[in-house]
Amino acid sequence: MAETKTLLALFEDIDPAARAVDKLRTLGIPDADLNVISGLPVTEAMLGRPRVWSNVPRLALGGSIAGFLVGVFLAFGAPNLYPIHVGGQAITPIPPSIVVLFEMTMLGMLVSTFVGVFLDATFPNYRPKEYTPEVSDGKIAILFRCPEDKQDRATRAMQQLGAEKVEPAEARRL
Amino acid sequence: MAATAKAAIQEHHEAHEDPRQHLMLDPKPRGEMNSMVMEAMQGTTWKFWVVAGLLAGVVLVCLFGAWGYMIANGLGVAGVNRPSYWGIFLVNTVFWIGISHAGTFVSALLRVFKAEFRRPFTRAAELMTTFGLVQAGLSIFMHMGRVWLSYWLAPYPNERGLWPNFHSPLAWDFLAINTYLLASTMYLFLPLIPDLAMARDRSTGWRKTFYRILALGFRGTEGEWSHLRIAMNIFAFAILPVMFSVHTIVSWDFAAATRPGWASTIFGPYFVVGALHSGVSAVAMVLVVVRARMKNMKYFIRPEHFNALGKLMLVISMTWAYFFFNDYMVQWYGGDKWTRILLEWHETGPLAWVWLLMLVCNVAVPWALLWSRKVRVNPTALFVVGLIINVGMWCERFVIIPMSLTINRMPFTWRTYKPGIEIPLSFGTLALFILLYMIASRLIPLVPVWEVQEGQLAHGLRKVGKATVPSVSELE
Repeated sequence: MAETKTLLALFEDIDPAARAVDKLRTLGIPDADLNVISGLPVTEAMLGRPRVWSNVPRLALGGSIAGFLVGVFLAFGAPNLYPIHVGGQAITPIPPSIVVLFEMTMLGMLVSTFVGVFLDATFPNYRPKEYTPEVSDGKIAILFRCPEDKQDRATRAMQQLGAEKVEPAEARRL
Repeated sequence: MAATAKAAIQEHHEAHEDPRQHLMLDPKPRGEMNSMVMEAMQGTTWKFWVVAGLLAGVVLVCLFGAWGYMIANGLGVAGVNRPSYWGIFLVNTVFWIGISHAGTFVSALLRVFKAEFRRPFTRAAELMTTFGLVQAGLSIFMHMGRVWLSYWLAPYPNERGLWPNFHSPLAWDFLAINTYLLASTMYLFLPLIPDLAMARDRSTGWRKTFYRILALGFRGTEGEWSHLRIAMNIFAFAILPVMFSVHTIVSWDFAAATRPGWASTIFGPYFVVGALHSGVSAVAMVLVVVRARMKNMKYFIRPEHFNALGKLMLVISMTWAYFFFNDYMVQWYGGDKWTRILLEWHETGPLAWVWLLMLVCNVAVPWALLWSRKVRVNPTALFVVGLIINVGMWCERFVIIPMSLTINRMPFTWRTYKPGIEIPLSFGTLALFILLYMIASRLIPLVPVWEVQEGQLAHGLRKVGKATVPSVSELE
């Protein structure tokens, strides 16, 4: 079995990077072994890459349900557990309870959305990772795992497509 | 004849303006924009430290000193007394919550509607939300008097097994303001992560450590961007109803009481529009200062942005006037004896000048000036108009709270409100807001560079007939 190595190809623009993704695919490198890093949100459609699955919307939904349930407890549970009767007023009037339900639902949704990004993107993660700071200058880097026997061909192909550099990816402390 | 030709040429130039005057059509390489933003953040002059030192002094004396004095001597040193139990502390609370609305409004609503002019200043506006809410929170604690008992508001039972009453507008306030503070801070942080990573890649020393920790290890992978994009879209839509709810709930603190002048069904939207009126004006003021005082900001913040904000201020001023008149008209027409006396008190009492100043600042000045493009694109003029509007909006809250509390159904309690220690405390909160903003401007990239670059990528020029017009592509 040939040894695999992670290479980094750096491109100036989106168009050559998109062509490079296609080329790597034709060289037999599967999408799962490719990763594109960029300093601005280049969508999967622009690069012809498969859509990234995100749990953030589901976590947001879960958070909003949890928040709603906390709201139900605060608006209906607490006053019934510890009732204070004041001048014949209702213990759990509906209109004011809606306010509590709304705020807690939204709080649950937003907090879980925020936490969802951390979970899905595995933030924070300070371990050394393959990266090049030129990415934040607007360049686009393609990281790809490549079997040793294909490395020369892949490197030449990237250079022909306009890669500024193609080199073994270096894991660096971010 | 020559004059006619000159006018025609002038007209032609105006009709075919240089597209590069628009930030989105005047792109620079990303690396250069990064350097400009980093330079703006790191280039601190001695003048900055002098101003920061003075502000810190004001905060120390007027905020912490005066507050400590009030804690030691009790709320009696403040002017709040029967019948005006709610004074400037709550005026400031409502005012600062209003200021905080602008960040979300500018950032989330304009993001939802894809208003492109928002891109360079969303963060500057979002920062105002967070720091404005800090001042609002401090003002509530001042109003409490015995701040060490503030935990009584938190939703858990006390020693006697009694929970806070969640059906009270004050408990709604607690929930709404905290939800908004948390949500707006998270909404500020999420789009900041890529810029913190950019700053990390360009810093050394303590800054490097600071940005490294805050950037969370962001690299800009497809997955990271995708999760961020989805989260920001959820936030942009979900934070808007939260924003509206906060000031609506604040308005219910008043409207839910059966007092003359307060019991109004229109108070919710009236308060929200008022919040936007002061908030958007404050954003314009901050942008003028940032542009004038920070390096390279003239590239990012341009007359086109002031023009757009000026138009927004004018529209909001008109909406505010509509709500004010609607509220006034119904109360005046209702004919209730106490409401009539209250309205007369507003208009002819010893503090009538505050009521008049409110109308002049909120309506007359913006209407007289902001229709003119020359005024809108002039930063100094827009700053002055923004300042005047904020004075007017502060007066509006003063009219609604202590002035309206003066008149009730028990004439023997009528007494004009005279503020005491509230005045230095108000200056203290203002100084703290400016100081926090100044410090933040040196620590975090004030311009979301990646958003600007994304916008520039989406913009282009295309021919329509003989004209060349800007066009925007949908990138998402």
